[in-house]
Amino acid sequence: MSTPDLPEPVVAAPVADPDAPAQAPLRESEPFEPEGVAWTPVSPRLATARLVVNAIWLGVPLLGLVVAAALSGLVGLWIGAGGVAVLLAWVAWLVPRQVRAMGYAERADDLLLRKGILFRSMVVVPYGRMQYVDVSAGPLARQLGIASVQLHTASPGTDASIDGLPAAEAARLRDQLASRGEARLAGL
Amino acid sequence: MTDPREVAGPERVGDTTGPVHPAAPAAPKVPDAPSASPGVPPAAPDAPAAAPAPEPEPPADDLGWRRMHPVTPAVKGWKVLVAVIAVVVWNSADEVRDLAGLLGASVWLYVVGAILLVALIGFGYSAVAWRMTRFAVTDEAVHLRTGVLFRQQRQARLDRLQAVDVVQPLLARILGLSELRLEVAGGSGSAVSLAFLREAEAEQLRAELLARAAGVHRSRRAAAPSPAAAPAPAPDGAAHGTPAHPVAAPAAGPVVTAPVPPGQEPDADWDAPAPVAPEQPVYDVPIGRLLASILRSSASIWLVVLAVVLVVVVVTSGEIGSAFAILPGLLGVVSYTWSRFNRGANFRAAISPDGIRLRHGFTEARAQTVPPGRVQAVQITQGLLWRGRDWWRVEVNVAGYGSGGEDDTQSANVLLPVGTRDDALLALWLVLPDLGTADPRGLVATGLVGRDAADGWAVAPRRSRWLDPIAWRRHGVTVTERALVLRSGVLTRRLVVVPHERTQSLTLAQGPWQRRLRLATVQLQSTPGPVTPHVAHLDERVAAGLVDEQATRARVARAGAGPELWMRRA
Repeated sequence: MSTPDLPEPVVAAPVADPDAPAQAPLRESEPFEPEGVAWTPVSPRLATARLVVNAIWLGVPLLGLVVAAALSGLVGLWIGAGGVAVLLAWVAWLVPRQVRAMGYAERADDLLLRKGILFRSMVVVPYGRMQYVDVSAGPLARQLGIASVQLHTASPGTDASIDGLPAAEAARLRDQLASRGEARLAGL
Repeated sequence: MTDPREVAGPERVGDTTGPVHPAAPAAPKVPDAPSASPGVPPAAPDAPAAAPAPEPEPPADDLGWRRMHPVTPAVKGWKVLVAVIAVVVWNSADEVRDLAGLLGASVWLYVVGAILLVALIGFGYSAVAWRMTRFAVTDEAVHLRTGVLFRQQRQARLDRLQAVDVVQPLLARILGLSELRLEVAGGSGSAVSLAFLREAEAEQLRAELLARAAGVHRSRRAAAPSPAAAPAPAPDGAAHGTPAHPVAAPAAGPVVTAPVPPGQEPDADWDAPAPVAPEQPVYDVPIGRLLASILRSSASIWLVVLAVVLVVVVVTSGEIGSAFAILPGLLGVVSYTWSRFNRGANFRAAISPDGIRLRHGFTEARAQTVPPGRVQAVQITQGLLWRGRDWWRVEVNVAGYGSGGEDDTQSANVLLPVGTRDDALLALWLVLPDLGTADPRGLVATGLVGRDAADGWAVAPRRSRWLDPIAWRRHGVTVTERALVLRSGVLTRRLVVVPHERTQSLTLAQGPWQRRLRLATVQLQSTPGPVTPHVAHLDERVAAGLVDEQATRARVARAGAGPELWMRRA
């Protein structure tokens, strides 16, 4: 059950200074850029997929509003259409940036995921904590050749999904995660 | 969870043919006696898609299937009746009234008839369900077969056992019956419930299951290697700092005399009683304190507020009827208060080699056993009105307890409904006998009431007051050799302790304002439950460092953690 590369006596070693633990953890580098971590970006095709979805959701009402405004000539409808158009433009600007901000990194013992521009977050999921891995792809994603991989731990709060992986990479990552998880699995 | 339970329909007989004669699927099975003739062919072997169990399962016939107590349908049938009536009354009271008007004088005849019919259906169904329900215990797992039309076989692996509860609802308690409930952390509804058994039988089975789950399997020949042999030092407040802890004590002297190869040995010595691990009382909650604590809880504040509103509304409007608008809120408060009382009454905690024992309940008695190392996180809280008495409430996350719905969560996750600070320390000690620091009492004290950076606490910097003007001085985190300790809250004080090896995953998060102020929040994900460990608004570099360090610490702690079979220290 214990990992072969970690003999037991190490238990207390890294916590050398229990009296002054507050001083110990301090990282000088950027908080969302751990040292020695090379982030793998997700596929830019994810941006395409998300834009298509957004275009449908916003474009159809926009079209409807424009038609209605042209027929009726009401100023309010034109304003509404303008609002939706601005929203669409904002989404078109935002989504590629969001996708570029997403990334993951496989470290020796855990998987790192990060996302977000305004609200940034970075999740550390130890391989030994993974209970199962989901790979899923909708029709649009399949068309674009991407898939998402989601990791599940015993906690439903673990928000560890990687969207927009190229299909081959998703399969590789799934197998990699499964084998690493098995090697390090340690109860709950 | 990948495999703690196995839901399979091994008996296709009932599945496809619809409502066959209820006894038909059960017929080919073994009679009650475990000594089944090995020649009975038709019972299907267990589903091959089962968990990667180390050994193939012995054929179903050898498991020694047993039945629940025959009174079970009588106890369960009432539930059906009450549920049906409650649903009817709640959802269609008006229609019922209209119907009563239509039927006129003979309405009572119909009411009694309907109740009898529902009762007949309820008891009849329960009786059939009882006939179809069997369970068996092997070294590896508990098997349970249920279902009338849709057959289900469930298998709870004992090495994944998270907790064992003996629950006695009021009626069952009167009849001397108990329900045995096994939590295996398989997500919602994965608990295996054996209801109902005779009280003594349930206790016996619990001891048996815990002994097997601990890896102390009794050999066929030798006398039972009893966990009773273990010394259980008296846990008083002074014992706090001492690293020796009673849970580990029995493991130190290897009790496992005859390491029987696991599996392949069915219930050979089922009749020999398993040793009941001795337990040492640690603390209890006097009923007076419980009542006082409820009076001082937020619920009573709401009750007062509602009463005032009620009076004001009635006086100003001059109508009694308008008061009914408040009734739902009032009912909510009352039911909350009642459940607080019902679940906290007669609360006693004890320690045994099998883990933490909790007994509580006013109408429904519940005896919980949480084996060592199964607690994922601890939280000590104090509401505003408890401050004068220095009372604290202790809750825990245990995998499996969180998934039983709202009702279950409230009662099962409480380690101490209300207690003094010493009681709270004892409760913490039950979970983490060794906090990994030289002065646990001092550490907890600073965690419970302290503010600002002192004694090794890393705290939110002064600039975070823009984001949290009231509580920013309390946000803090410290690390011991064994656990991560987080504190927060000014009005409701909160201290959370997460053992390093129980860290599921870590999140570092930063919103736009936090980014501007160079702050960040660290969250630890734990299993479902009342405890959500996080510390807000740390300096971003400290937070990032904490995430890095904690990932390493958790990994090392996991590597050194004991095996799932807690008595079998490899």
